[in-house]
Parts: sequence; C-alpha cells; structure tokens
Amino acid sequence: MMKLEAIIQPSRFESVKDALREAGIEGMTVTEVRGHGRQKGHTEVYRGREYTVDLLPKIKLEMVLPDKLVNTVVDTILKTAKTGKIGDGKIFLSRVDEAIRIRNEERGENAL
Amino acid sequence: MTTAARPGLHSAFQPARTMQGSLTPLSVLGPQAADERQRIQQQFESGVSARETVLALCALADNAIQQVFAEVLRSHNMPSAGLCLVALGGYGRRLLFPYSDLDILFLFGNEKAEQAFRPLISDFSRTLWDLGFRVSSAGRTLEECKRIEEDNVEFHLALLDRRFLAGDGELFDRLDDKVLPGSERQARPFLLAQLHKLTRDRLARYGNTIFHLEPNVKEAPGGLRDYQAAIWLRQIAGEKKELLNISAAEEELASGAVDFLSAIRCFLHYSNARNDNTLTYELQTAAAERSLGVADGVPRNAAEWMRLYFRHARMLNRLLLRYLEQKAIVPQTLRQRLFSVARGPKFEPSNGKPFGVRDGLFEVLNQTALSDRALIFSLFTEAARTGVPLSRQAERCIAYIMQHPELPVRNAEITWPVLREILGADYPGLALRPMQRLGLLTEILPEFSRIDSLVVRDFYHRYTVDEHSLRTIEHLQELAAPPDEQGTHFEPLWKTVERRDLLIFALLLHDIGKGIPVENHVAGSLEALASAARRLRLSAEETTEVHFLIEHHLDMSATVQRRDIFDPSTISSFAASVVNQERLQRLCLLTYADIHAVNPEALTPWKADMLWQLFVATSNHFSRTLDRDRLHAHDEVSLLEQVRVQFTGSSTEQIERFLEGFPRRYLAVHSASEIAAQMVMYQKLPAEPVQTELHSTGHAFSLTLLAADRPALFATIAGVLAGWGMNIIKADAFANAAGIVLDTFHFADLHRTLELNPTEIDRFRRSLADVVNGKAPLEPLLQGRDTASRARPPKVTVETQISFDDSSSAHSTLLEIVAQDRPGLLYDVGSALAALGCNIEVALIDTEGQKVIDVFYLTDQGKKLGVEKQTLLRRALHEKLG
Repeated sequence: MMKLEAIIQPSRFESVKDALREAGIEGMTVTEVRGHGRQKGHTEVYRGREYTVDLLPKIKLEMVLPDKLVNTVVDTILKTAKTGKIGDGKIFLSRVDEAIRIRNEERGENAL
Repeated sequence: MTTAARPGLHSAFQPARTMQGSLTPLSVLGPQAADERQRIQQQFESGVSARETVLALCALADNAIQQVFAEVLRSHNMPSAGLCLVALGGYGRRLLFPYSDLDILFLFGNEKAEQAFRPLISDFSRTLWDLGFRVSSAGRTLEECKRIEEDNVEFHLALLDRRFLAGDGELFDRLDDKVLPGSERQARPFLLAQLHKLTRDRLARYGNTIFHLEPNVKEAPGGLRDYQAAIWLRQIAGEKKELLNISAAEEELASGAVDFLSAIRCFLHYSNARNDNTLTYELQTAAAERSLGVADGVPRNAAEWMRLYFRHARMLNRLLLRYLEQKAIVPQTLRQRLFSVARGPKFEPSNGKPFGVRDGLFEVLNQTALSDRALIFSLFTEAARTGVPLSRQAERCIAYIMQHPELPVRNAEITWPVLREILGADYPGLALRPMQRLGLLTEILPEFSRIDSLVVRDFYHRYTVDEHSLRTIEHLQELAAPPDEQGTHFEPLWKTVERRDLLIFALLLHDIGKGIPVENHVAGSLEALASAARRLRLSAEETTEVHFLIEHHLDMSATVQRRDIFDPSTISSFAASVVNQERLQRLCLLTYADIHAVNPEALTPWKADMLWQLFVATSNHFSRTLDRDRLHAHDEVSLLEQVRVQFTGSSTEQIERFLEGFPRRYLAVHSASEIAAQMVMYQKLPAEPVQTELHSTGHAFSLTLLAADRPALFATIAGVLAGWGMNIIKADAFANAAGIVLDTFHFADLHRTLELNPTEIDRFRRSLADVVNGKAPLEPLLQGRDTASRARPPKVTVETQISFDDSSSAHSTLLEIVAQDRPGLLYDVGSALAALGCNIEVALIDTEGQKVIDVFYLTDQGKKLGVEKQTLLRRALHEKLG
C-alpha cells in the first residue's frame, strides 16, 4: 500500500476529483492549505493598503492506495492537474505498513 | 413544594409507599419487562400517542425499580429506613423515552446509612442494568442536599422534578417539604442566572436557530429542552403565569408542540434503537410517510411534514425566549432594591411615535396605534437604523393587531420606498427577523413564503432556506464590528457599499428558486424577482441591478474555486462579466454572506482569503484599465435605442457624437435615463457653456457638470464646492472624443446650507457657472473656509501615499493618492495638477471614512508623464497634503 499526497491548484481540484472518480477512486481526504515552493507570492495594493500574498492557496489530497492502483492514480492526477505553469503542485508517495478499518477491524488492503 | 404542584404530564400510576405487595422473582421480571417494552413499542407503532407511551415506559420502570429494590432489601436483610429512591429530571416528570437513562437519586438519612447501604445499591444497580434499564444515579445524604453545588447546577435543576420512587417515604417528605424548599429559595438568583447561562450556551451551540436541516429534537432550539427550560425558569422565578402573559391558547399550543416532538423522539429512539435524537433526512421521510404526530394521518412529503415540525419548534422556542427576556434575578442589597424601585427602568420615547426604548429594546406604548401599518414599519425602520432590537412585548403587540382582523387596518400597502429604507439601513436583519416571525415579510414579499421553513437536502447546508437567507443579511450587518479576522477585510466594503438596499433585497430573493419547481433555482429566483419588482414598482435600473446579483450570485464562488485567480486573464474575464466597481463590491459582499450562512464552518479563512484576493485583483483591474476601453457609439445599438426612446429630442447621430470616446465605465455608472438627461444638457451647451444639474440623494447631493474641456476645470469645480463648505465624498470625471467633459460630484452639505435655504441652490449653481466661466474669482470663496476647516483635528490619522503607474494604461500615467480627508483637499490636488500642466483624462475620487482614495489618469501634452514631471508632481502634492 502507498500513501499519496498531492498538492494541486485549487482551480484544478474539481477536474482531478472527477477524473479520480472515473478511475474508480472513491475515498480521499481533502484539505485547504497554503504554502509555496518555487512559485513565490506577490503583493497587491488596495486603497493604500499593501497585501502580501506569500503563501498561496492550494488543495492537498491524501489517499492510501493498493499498489496496483498507484500508477493509474498518479497518471490521472498528472494529466488533470497540469497546466504547465509554475505552481501546478507536487505528488508525494510513501509506503504504508498497515491500514485498519475501525468499524470491523479489517486490515490491509481490505480496509481501504 | 410538592410533586403535584409541578407542571408536567400526569399518570394514574402512583408508586407504593410500602413494599407490601407480592414480589415477582427476578428470573421472571426480566422477560416480563422485555415483553412489556415490546408491547409498548408495538402500541406506539400502531398509533398510541407519545404521551401514553412515555407514561407506560415510566410505569414499567417504576414497577421494576420497586420490585428490584424490595428484592435486594430482602436479600440483604435490611429495612428501607434511612434510604429512599428519588426519580429526577425527565424521569421525575414521568417523561421516559424508550432509550433514555433513568435518573435516580439515592437519598440517605445520614453518612452512616450511606455506608451501610453501599453494597445493596451496587446490587440494585447491577440488577436493573441486567433487566435492560440504563441507570444514571447520584447519591446524597439529606444534609448534603441542603448545600447548593455551584459546579453541578444540572443536578439541582434535575432535583426540581423530584418524585418519590421507593424506600423510606418519610425521608423523602423531609427532603421535599423541609430541606429543598428553603435551599432552593435561597439559591434562586444563582439557579436562575445559571439556568440562563446554560440555556443561552446551549442555544448558541446550535446557532440560535430552530431551522436546522437535521435538527436534534431534544437539545436544539425549539426542541423539548426549550420547553423544560421555560418551565424551570417559571418554577425558579416562582412567578405566576399570569404575570408572564401566557394565555390559555398559548398553553394549549405549547402542549400540542410537546406532544408532536415527543412522538418524534419516541420514533427516533425506536428507529435507531438508542438514545439518538437527531432527525435525519432518512427518518424525516419515514416520519412524513406515516404522518407522525399529525392527527389526520394523511401521508405527506418530507418537506411539508418538516414545516409542521418547525411550526411546533417555533412555538416552544418563542415561549423559552420570552422567559429568557425577563431579567435574571441578581442578588441586590436592600438599598439597591429600594433605589431601583424608586427609579424604575429608564424609558426613552421615540419622538411622538407609539414606541420607545427600554433596557435596550424597543417597546410599544400604544398598541392600538399599530393598526396603522405605516407606524409598524416605522418601528422596524427605527430598529434597522439604530440597531436596537424589538422586545418580545413589541412583537406580541404587533402579532395581536395582525391576528384581529376586526381592527381597522390603515396604510396597509407598504411601498418600495418604505421597504428600501429598512433594507438600506445599517442593521436590516434586526427588522427582517421579527418581520418574518410576524408574517409581515411575506405580507410585503409573498415570494418569500416559497422558502418558509423549507428543507433542501444537501451535504453542506445546515439551515432551512429562509433561515439561510436571513443569516446572510445578519452576517453582513455584523461587519459593522467584525466578529472575526476574516470579516475585517470585508468591513470597509460593507461600510462604503452603494445601494445597500439592492444588495439586501437580492439576498432575500437569491434562493427563493429553491422553493419553486424549476430545474435551476437561479431561474426560479429571477422569476420571483420579476413579480416582486413589478408589484413593489422598482425602477428598471434597480431591477437590473438586483437581477444581476441574483443571476451571478454563485459566480464569484465558482471563480475562486475553479479558476486560477492569479492569472490576469481570469481577472480580466471576471471583470468583464461584473462590469463595474460598484457591482463588484455588492457581489463580493453577497458571496461572503452566502458562503458564511451555509454553516458556521463554511467560510474558512482560506476561502475568505481567496474571495478577498479575487475582489482586490478585480477592483485594481477596474481602476487600472479605465481608459483602455473607450466607447465606439456606433456599435452600441441597444444603448442608442434605449437613450433615443427616453429622449426623443435628438437624433441617433447626435447621441453617437455625445457618447463617442467616453470610457466604458461611463456606461457602467450611468443608466440610459441618466444619459438621456445628460443629452438634454449637451444640447443646451451652445447657448450656455456650463451646464449643471443638482439633486439631493437623501444624505448627500449629486452635481453633474457638462462643459467643454478647459485648463484646471476639475480643480475649479472642487474649489467652488470647498468654498461653499461642501465635502466631496465621491467624484468621477470623463471626457468624450470631442473634448466635452462630464464631471459628477457627490458631496455632503456639511453646514446644511442648501438643505435649509432652498433659495441658495440657484445662487450656488450661478456661482459655480460664473467661476468656471471665469466671470468670478475663486479665491474669495476659499478664504473664509480655509482656516476653519484646517483647525479641526482629524479623528484618525491617514498617512499620505502617492504612487505613479506607467504600465497599466497605454496612453496615461496613473496617479493614486491615499490621504487624510479634509474639506478642500480635492481642490488642492486639482490645482497642483493644473499648475504643472497635467491633463486629467479620467478621475475616480472615493472616500472611506477619513481616508480619500483618488485615482487620476494623467497626460502631459497627450503623452504619459515623464519621470521629471512625476518627481515635481510628487513634491508639489506632498507640500499640499503633508
């Protein structure tokens, strides 16, 4: 099992979600986050006040996947989240040792 | 205090004071209790009332407790003297729901008895548990019951509903007759204050509204707990019900509401097989299908049945709020009491009106005067204007008038000008909320009844559609003093928004389509607007603005979520759809309020930030691209036609000549009828080279001036206004391709010169024309005002900021000035620009409290300003502005 974390543009979230659903992925955790990598923020001035946007809004997706689905999901996110501009985000993968469904204590991939 | 004196449901069952009956062996009692429970459930499901059901469950529990208690006494070989069992809380009131806990007090004669009975109590509790009863128990000696436990108010409230169950009857009588009445009387102020606090905290936990899509029928506002809290308040206060104006009809309605909610609670317990009181969507459907709690037994759809629920919940919640509004008793010294009796609460009558303010609430002085609808609405207008809410007494007076058709109703037709005064005030929600409760909102806006208590099932919304709509308005009025950090961004928008009435009207209507059987609710809401606008006689321009807000009420949210708001093309296309700054401001506030009112967590700081960034980027886009798009009148077929229809005195060619070359913003801020009026002025120019139009806009004046461009024109007009003591709030200046300048100034008449002396209006216009035409000097006008205005110190300090931008416009240099507002400031700025030969192509002047925000598009001999000119100008402006 692998844990996938993807940081994507908020504007791509709906498309990514729809594409993942079509690929058979039902469960995911979604968080509104702020941050920056190479895409730095910028400053806006409104009515004499300066607003520095140094942490840009992003969406973070988290899901734990059976190994056989990892490539499909990564491809799907790459295809749908990419705009080609700085700030499209990143995908992180890490190995997961165990998953347990709290309701019936199922373990392993059955719990996903 | 005796049990019989307490309110509550009564049962024929009376527990025995002695254990002389024959005992049922425990091996038999368990299956018997299970059978009896099943029988009670079957009877409930076959139509027996909730009242009988909870009584039967109570009798079953009482019987089991008596049997088990007798059995454990026998097995421990102990007499009952020194111990008695007391039912508390709901169980004490004989309201035992299928999966509720049994609240029991073990009352000991003294500590020695407590020690002696401890093993017995352990056996007793375990046995009851094995029989399927969930016991929630407490133990106290008689002595301990004399003390009020300040950190356990709930226990003392539960004790108010005490009822003897089994054991030492004399011990119970000592508690009931001697110990508790004294300590409760002494602790009355404390208990009352604590009950107020507990109740208000509970109501706040549920957002202070009954209108939840999946309500908790016990704890939420309008739930059974409201009724119980009202009874406790009455009990503790020890006041007679007549004093609180509870009529017999109201008692009956409350009793009906309790029956209805009790039926739901039984149904929920049986359906969930546990003590779960949430009326979920699924169970709403099931309850509606079996017409739960409704005498006619006719199956209904869930939305219709939920309206019945809300009607009953509203009854119980109102009852509670009325009790809560009575002032909590606080301990006072004799001196304080004498003083407050002598002085009485302060009352401030409202200038000749049949109402006034007492204790921070509007009260009605003359009820019969309220049969005049105009007076009722003037009360609501006062509430919306001052931020002082109506008392329950005032609402009851209005309700009384409305429920008595025999009283002659005067001025029944309420017009748009009356409604817009409420909607445009600082606290519209304070008027609209009671108007809705009293049915006056649907009287004036029948379309609103489509969403009355309407449950629309979706994952995010927490409230019914009408509640959501009213909450949007309340969230906006909170911006007067923002309750959280995300609100602080939007505060200046709320304070400076133009035509607030149209924004609030749009919020009232924006979701009405959800109550109309159409595919897209926005289309339904627009239908509602069409009928409301026709009936209330909104002008075409007003209807268009509200139409825009409703039609696009989801656009800003969608742009934030689905578009890259840091991409300039997103901003540019969004700005094109919004058209102008004024609309943007209204749409942004509407979106802020709409998201905020979905549920308390919906407007996350993340979303608020995104919305704010979209607003700022679009707003800056407007001010930086003003001269990019110029009008080519020949292409504006529809506009030309509209102006021609309104002004038949000129040909299409003349209109085209006038409009040609104005910035597009000109169209965004002037309606077709205004343009037609300006055409009239335009045609008079050859005879009279300076045309002015002045009219009052309620709190301010609006001046339109049309003239051929000339040096320092803008500065001169600003100077005349300053000389007359007028404070410029807002202004814009446009020029067409033929060099005709159209300047519009909105100003406040600080000394009420024009308002109090109508003859001065002509003199003012003449003075303006003479100065602009060079027939009279400006300086004498300014001399008198100068010293007086500069003498006043500002309330807040605004640091002067001057910035130039050469990149936003292809033709001009943008100058943005942020500075401390003061009379004559715009004249100083304008004269500095004129002195350096700068030509104003476009100007946008705005104020926000004591801050002015001016944007000028400047050229120097038809080109952008050079670096040297910018330096000189910056220096000159700093000298003038400080």
